[in-house]
Amino acid sequence: MSPDFELEGVCLDYRSGIRALDSIRLTINPGEQVAVVGANGSGKSTLLKIIDGLAFPTSGSVKAFGAPLTEDALEDLAFRREFRSRVGFVFQEADVQLFCSNARDELAFGPLQLGLDEAEVERRVNDVATQLRIDKLLDRPPYSLSGGEKKRLAIGSVLTMESRVLLLDEPSSGLDPRSQVWLLGVLETWKKEGRTAVIATHDLSAAAESADRMVVLSEDHVVVADGPPEEVLAQHELLLEVNLIHEHAHRHSSVTHTHSHAH
Amino acid sequence: MSFPALNCQGDIAPAAPGRRRRRRSLARRTADSLNRAISEVFENEELAGRPGLLQRLDARVKLASILLLAVTASLVHSVWTLLLLVCAGPALAAASQASAASFARKVWSSAGLLALLLALPSATAYITPGKVLVPLGAVSLTEPGLMGAATLVLRVVAASGFCLLVIWTMRWTELLHALSALRLPGVIVATLAMAHKQILTLLRTVEQTHLARESRLVSPGTTREERAWVTERMAFVVRKSLKTADDVYDAMLARGYSGPVRTLVRLRTTPRDWTWLTLCAVGCAALVLVDRLLLAR
Amino acid sequence: MHIPDGYLSPQTYVVLDIAIIPIWVVAARKVKKSLKTKQIPLMALGAAFAFIIMMFNVPVIGGSTGHAIGGTLIAIILGPWAACISISVALVIQALVFGDGGITALGANCLNMAVILPFVGFYLYRLLSGDGPSASRRTMSAGVAAYVAIVAAAVCAGIEFGIQPYIAHTAGGHALYAPYPLRVAVPAMALEYLLFFGWVEAIVTMGVVRVLARSDAALLAAKPAAKPLRWLWAGLGVLVVLVPLGALAPGTGWGEWSGGQVKSMVGYMPGNFEKLGALWKAAMPGYLTPGMSNDLLGYLIAGIVGVLLCAGIAWGLAAVLGRRSNGAAEASGRPTVPPPAA
Repeated sequence: MSPDFELEGVCLDYRSGIRALDSIRLTINPGEQVAVVGANGSGKSTLLKIIDGLAFPTSGSVKAFGAPLTEDALEDLAFRREFRSRVGFVFQEADVQLFCSNARDELAFGPLQLGLDEAEVERRVNDVATQLRIDKLLDRPPYSLSGGEKKRLAIGSVLTMESRVLLLDEPSSGLDPRSQVWLLGVLETWKKEGRTAVIATHDLSAAAESADRMVVLSEDHVVVADGPPEEVLAQHELLLEVNLIHEHAHRHSSVTHTHSHAH
Repeated sequence: MSFPALNCQGDIAPAAPGRRRRRRSLARRTADSLNRAISEVFENEELAGRPGLLQRLDARVKLASILLLAVTASLVHSVWTLLLLVCAGPALAAASQASAASFARKVWSSAGLLALLLALPSATAYITPGKVLVPLGAVSLTEPGLMGAATLVLRVVAASGFCLLVIWTMRWTELLHALSALRLPGVIVATLAMAHKQILTLLRTVEQTHLARESRLVSPGTTREERAWVTERMAFVVRKSLKTADDVYDAMLARGYSGPVRTLVRLRTTPRDWTWLTLCAVGCAALVLVDRLLLAR
Repeated sequence: MHIPDGYLSPQTYVVLDIAIIPIWVVAARKVKKSLKTKQIPLMALGAAFAFIIMMFNVPVIGGSTGHAIGGTLIAIILGPWAACISISVALVIQALVFGDGGITALGANCLNMAVILPFVGFYLYRLLSGDGPSASRRTMSAGVAAYVAIVAAAVCAGIEFGIQPYIAHTAGGHALYAPYPLRVAVPAMALEYLLFFGWVEAIVTMGVVRVLARSDAALLAAKPAAKPLRWLWAGLGVLVVLVPLGALAPGTGWGEWSGGQVKSMVGYMPGNFEKLGALWKAAMPGYLTPGMSNDLLGYLIAGIVGVLLCAGIAWGLAAVLGRRSNGAAEASGRPTVPPPAA
């Protein structure tokens, strides 16, 4: 079976000539959980959009599930249908993707589009709502929910599609500590289920806990490290260079400690 | 905790090449046009920051002189003087370190093309009767018709070109300073400034919502569904804007805002500015004179 | 409906650029009075969402899409005066930053899209939705109001285009600005909006009003005028619509004869008839629009211009007198009468 995604020499330039991604070479295998880390502006979100066929590289190639993923390819309705039902994207700002009049419709939207029968859709909606603890909120409109509830609803709306691949853009931003812990649990379960997940984050500790692999993007939009989290995190110098950690000094009376610190 | 079962194992069949229903979705098209709008704003700011002829002028003088040129374009009637003005646009663009070719291309492909399409039917005998130059029966092209069409197209291209010069050579803050120095009330200038920023933010957000829809679009919806989605998103924009207005207002109050807005505007003109303005004024007056003489012949 | 530069003659655009200024001044004053210090953020955000609404692609039928302006929608949410400011700001930014619409033509564009569109739409919405309306009545009223308002704005734009050939043309007969006369420009604009863009506007306004009616109904409350006044306006409206019937009446009204008609009736022209007759050259002699071959359309336009002039002068007088009496009343401590409310 082919890898889920294969990016080869992918570069993305904005119209003004500014480079967003530079010579990205990345392979995502089925069932892997990959954390893409980097400072703000390094291109994490853009990379995720390239993987989901929402943006297209200026040069280089992208393959998804063994087939080329290009703007042309996505205009083929059959291909698009197949691709979109396999890959789900959760945006950083939940508001952006919640548009149905209530939470139930939001969860039902995806499977209804796939043409599933109502009983099946009903079952999926209730399952996911219970798992995500939003079953009491099903009849509320999205804008009346709190930040954490909206985030869970956004994740749920993608889960009901039973996508095999999940792309998450800064999933823990805006979540309270309890929800953050819950998110880690979700990621664990996905791993056991064999789902592929690509998570863009600058939260190193969360990434270290759940990811199989960590990919580091520098501020020059290049991949500078790609491997198991323990190995990547041991490269102290590198992490300092890409602005993911910084030297933090504090004093205990007369003694000053210096150690690395990440946010 | 168990989750819904997986489906869709294995590879995906590549997209069928060649003959297929080519149709970018509504979401994709709108996202693209929004993206382009945002990129253009940044490109234009970059252009306006270059050390070219126009960029170095004082903001008020620059605005006044370009507007003078635009007004002159509406005063001259001979095809020859209009042609001169049409060429002045790209020339000034080149002098301002922008590409004359892309300037001309932009003006002709948008304003020029539209003017051409609009003007052509007016060149027919039905609208403008007169001496027939191209016999086509009921829709023959007449001499006064073609002259009128040519005049319109050249005038529109010249005037639109000058508008483009304002956009390409004036940074937004500079424009605000010029308007403020030209006695526009402080409230209006402050509103314009804030609106500009909010527009850029909203453009980005709305682009994201269109991309979000694109990422969840398994099959294109019916027209009714698309319409419902579009109007729902517009309502979202309304709600979000009103909420942002509340937030911004609170922030302003917290920073001590109590009413009148004061801005620091320090505009100074140099001899170069006055030389330019005089040259411009004299040139435009001369052009109008020449134009009247040409027409009197 | 954004008119670019080059289509309107200086005689037109200078007049409109100047005419829009007092409207802006009044709007700014009204907005300042009702919003006070919150006016800047609210107007700025109003302009932002006015701008964005114009950027949405709205599916209409088949695969076709169109853009709406949303003027009526904004007027319903913010009120017509605030809508005037918001839409004007959006139009200014569109012209000066995005190159959409001309700079000299800003007066004309603001008149069409920031004055005619929101005001006609707002007052029609208020008239149709009455008091304590259900969501469906609100939605329908909003849709009808938006449709009529944008067609009205389109007709205005058509008139602005259509008068160009009369204002300026060479001896050779060719047009110097927009080349289509009224009999072509007005129907063309009207049909374009009656058949397509009017529907886009209605769809957008109805759709958004429906969504907002469920979530923030308070936003859509346009306080209806006092009952008796409402029927007065409705009555006036009916009379205005009936104006074209005048075209059916043959002959001239009693006492309104021209010099020539008197001569043919009694055999001679009394005293200074001829001299006095030539004293004042009317802009629209005989209730006809000069240069229009189609008499009926000319008559209609003359009628519209007349109604607008009368209404405008009456309103202006009321505003000035109302303020004066308020000023005097405040000075003497009497209760004041509010000037005509929006």
